[in-house]
Amino acid sequence: MSRFRKELSKGLVASNPIFILFLGLCPALAVSTSVDNALGMTAGVLFVLLGSNIIISAIKKIVPNMVRIPVFIVVISTFVTVVSLVFQAYVPALYAALGIYLPLITVNCIILARAEAFASKNTIFNSIGDAIGMGLGFGAALIIISFFREILGTGSISIFGTHLLTLPVLGEHPMAMLALPPGAFLVIGLLLALFRRMGVVRSE
Amino acid sequence: MQPNIFKRLYPVILVTFIVLVSAVLLSFTDDITRGKIAEQEVAQVRGVLEEMFPNMTSLTLENDIYTVLENDTTIGYGFVAVGRGYGGEISILVGLENKTTVKGIVIISQDETPGLGTRVAEEPFTSQFAGVDIDDVRLDGKIDAITGSTISSEAIVEAVRNAALEKAESLGE
Repeated sequence: MSRFRKELSKGLVASNPIFILFLGLCPALAVSTSVDNALGMTAGVLFVLLGSNIIISAIKKIVPNMVRIPVFIVVISTFVTVVSLVFQAYVPALYAALGIYLPLITVNCIILARAEAFASKNTIFNSIGDAIGMGLGFGAALIIISFFREILGTGSISIFGTHLLTLPVLGEHPMAMLALPPGAFLVIGLLLALFRRMGVVRSE
Repeated sequence: MQPNIFKRLYPVILVTFIVLVSAVLLSFTDDITRGKIAEQEVAQVRGVLEEMFPNMTSLTLENDIYTVLENDTTIGYGFVAVGRGYGGEISILVGLENKTTVKGIVIISQDETPGLGTRVAEEPFTSQFAGVDIDDVRLDGKIDAITGSTISSEAIVEAVRNAALEKAESLGE
């Protein structure tokens, strides 16, 4: 049990996929324009990560080394296609907002990296912990980044259509650049600098 | 000899088997979601057309053209036009009040630059189309482009005019 908790918690801070491992930066930069998108992407990644970690851990003994990567990719893309069809059917607005980054979860390095580095070597139980931890760590990073980009880039913030607040001056003159691609790099860079200053992220 | 061949073929058999399982699972998922996805598209079009034609009582779809009816009398048409914008495809739902006049347009989906190109999906731009003759749907005609979003504006204007002319022809004079 303690092992399970260790695997679960490491993804959140100590091996956070975005801020520590720098995995999956491409979707993190692209879909972090609003908190809604970040939550949707998190749900998608968490589901795929959980599904692929479980299956890959379950079949690890029967998969020969030489075909493991093709097998991983088939398993992962199956889950991604399921997510993409379900989103299209039940949350079309989110499906439209995530666009190409939803199918691209297939090649998200976090998922393949967890399959290769963890699930293919560990028990199903621990792989579940790893998937939840890594998925939530990715989600937490995405939500922090998108929070700053949305509130500073558009001057207001709303979650699933519920308007939360509008900033006094920025509401009129938002820093639109932060909602654009360069803004993603700036926000991630500044957050990393801040985390390092705070000692959350240690340089080796 | 026998076990050796099996050993060499094993990876092939395994991958084939896994792909088969995956294909079966996906066709089940497709089966479950397909109806819902088609429904979502029609529901979206219906919602937009209802707003455009408040008197609408029913809607029929034939050859990609929605005919808007008020108690069996045709009061307009609707169809989806697709333009090539700056960031990708722009889907526009066009309403016609008769075969030559635009009732209004609504941008259904777009991938334009946030804050610049996305302004073509907003009221000040889209409201210009109401009541305009389809031949005048041009940037040098009755429509003004959004400053800084010329490509997005042009993509919409061209897509609306070309699709409208084509649909008007297929509806007959």
